[in-house]
Amino acid sequence: MRIKLEQRHASSLLWQGMSYGLAILAGFAATAVLLKLSSADVSTAFAALLRGAFGSQRAVLRTLVDATPLILTGLAALVVFRARIWSIGQEGQVYAGAMGAYWVASSLPDAPLFVVGPLAMAGAILGGATMSGIAAVLRNRYEVNEIFSTVMLNYIVVYLLSWLLSGGPWTEAGTTVAYHQTPLLAQSAWLPQLSGPLHAGLLIAIAAAISVHLLLERTSAGYDMRALGANQTALRFMGMDVPRIVLVTMLLSGALAGLAGGVELLGVQHRLKADYLFGLGYGGIIVAMVGGLRPAGTVAVAILFGGLSSGAVDMRIQSGVPDSLIQAMQGTILLFVLCGTALARYRLTWSSAK
Amino acid sequence: MSGLFQEAIFVSLLAATIRIATPLLLSAMGELVTQRAGIWNVGVEGTMLTGAFMAYIAYAVTGDHLTAFALAVLAAMVLGAITAFLSVTLRVDHFITGLGINLLASGLTLFWFRSFVKGKAQPTFDSIGTVPVPYLSDIPVVGPVLFDQRLLTYAAFALVPVVWAFLYRTRTGLELRALGENPAALDTMGLNVAIRQYAATIFGSAMTGLGGAFLMLGFSDRFVPELSAGRGWLVVVALIAGNWHPLRVTFAVLAFSFLESLATHSQAIGAAVPYQLLLALPYVISIAIIVMAKGKSRQPAALGESYARS
Repeated sequence: MRIKLEQRHASSLLWQGMSYGLAILAGFAATAVLLKLSSADVSTAFAALLRGAFGSQRAVLRTLVDATPLILTGLAALVVFRARIWSIGQEGQVYAGAMGAYWVASSLPDAPLFVVGPLAMAGAILGGATMSGIAAVLRNRYEVNEIFSTVMLNYIVVYLLSWLLSGGPWTEAGTTVAYHQTPLLAQSAWLPQLSGPLHAGLLIAIAAAISVHLLLERTSAGYDMRALGANQTALRFMGMDVPRIVLVTMLLSGALAGLAGGVELLGVQHRLKADYLFGLGYGGIIVAMVGGLRPAGTVAVAILFGGLSSGAVDMRIQSGVPDSLIQAMQGTILLFVLCGTALARYRLTWSSAK
Repeated sequence: MSGLFQEAIFVSLLAATIRIATPLLLSAMGELVTQRAGIWNVGVEGTMLTGAFMAYIAYAVTGDHLTAFALAVLAAMVLGAITAFLSVTLRVDHFITGLGINLLASGLTLFWFRSFVKGKAQPTFDSIGTVPVPYLSDIPVVGPVLFDQRLLTYAAFALVPVVWAFLYRTRTGLELRALGENPAALDTMGLNVAIRQYAATIFGSAMTGLGGAFLMLGFSDRFVPELSAGRGWLVVVALIAGNWHPLRVTFAVLAFSFLESLATHSQAIGAAVPYQLLLALPYVISIAIIVMAKGKSRQPAALGESYARS
């Protein structure tokens, strides 16, 4: 018998959808194996995880809080990846966004929320967009592959923040430098609470998702971005200004990632600390990919992953499993999605041996 | 500052450069072979992290350096095989593949590390000792800098001419280079493209894993999450900066290593710049290097393109 992979002429939407679902299931199965290997009780851990994620009204609210920055970083990854611009700078842009928002909010300690809130969000957008703008200019003007510029900028921002928080101007006065954090922001700069821990950042994230959807599907700028991803050469022959499309796409992506940092700062943490922001950018890349690079899918997967990260806290308390299980889980799910979507392009054929 | 003290710092700065260069060089020589074969592996960062972590776990459990190195290489080879399966067999975009490998490695090592250290004291490590070369290590300055290093450091530098000879003076090396330029030509000659690309990718990952293990056992006294801290990415940039040539890649690696050594010595030197900003320097410089490398690129023509018989 001969088994052969044969390319499908058109990959059906059903197969695509099923491959995403199966990949997520496979990720959960692989995680169960991990739990078994770390000699944890699998069913207790998973039960605690699910209860902590979606088991009560409070759990659902915490899930949405954790999903909020992931929706924004997911959208940030989505817009560049749809244009086949391989920017992986979302992690650094989140930091830069939080830095921008912190700078604005800490400069206006006495201003009321309706003044400091929008200005701080503008600071966040500016922070993130500056980072991605640098990468866009490096690509357009100096032919620097955006993969490298964005990765390097990620590391540069982390070191910059590390200096600002321990020894630099934002070091919390009167404490030992070991905390690596700023003082708390004035309460007037905190985002309003909607219900329990849930803050207004979720509304910003949902509005951003709808805007990105409309932009990509209904506007000519969005068409240009998708066209860039589909066939860059054709676009150039059509006389389109490719560098401009690259710049606009990357600025938008950086703005979204920066917003994630600002929302997390003013909605949840209220002080700047690198640990609080770690992994939001990379998590967003996974969210976007697992969400099939579509806004609705991205929001859905962000809520799933938000649930995992808020459930992980309960899991740690009840079964002692470290909450970094979630990162391992996200990584495995991503790998299965890559395999699954690639395999969905093929079909298995077999024939009897020659 | 006394002259003797200055000389001591100078020697320490250069010796550290050579030590820091070791994992980068091992990885760069491996990935050079991978990339010359047309596979654009950007999962180097994750592979190096995996090597470092496996070395940590294996050494903490067995206390044996050789086992630690072997398991690190083995784990990296598994990642190499996954990379090849995705980018050669399934023809997933090479960048997406590497991204997946990096995120997988980062998640798995973080979880395993936290599970491993949970509720117990971190094991401490005796870093592997140096093996001074008789007579040569007695030469002032040059001796302690070049000839009082660890065995793997000597091996890493010896690897440079070996990889050069392999790529430019052997038939297999010629085939691999042709693979990176025009895989269809090899296929027409009846030579198996996939098997060579698998081998080149797994070899590159093995060397990266070895580099990661050295990073852990050669100069870290404990494991921290993301221990590789961008070194895998610097390797990928070093290949561009060195125009995919073994000797020039080595110079690029040495330049990055010197910058990092400078940052760690900044207090001893008395630099007024905060050390965090000095630590960021290699990443700033690497961008500048790519800008300058533009236009004279000898990048393999089919690098990053999955070969499909048409």
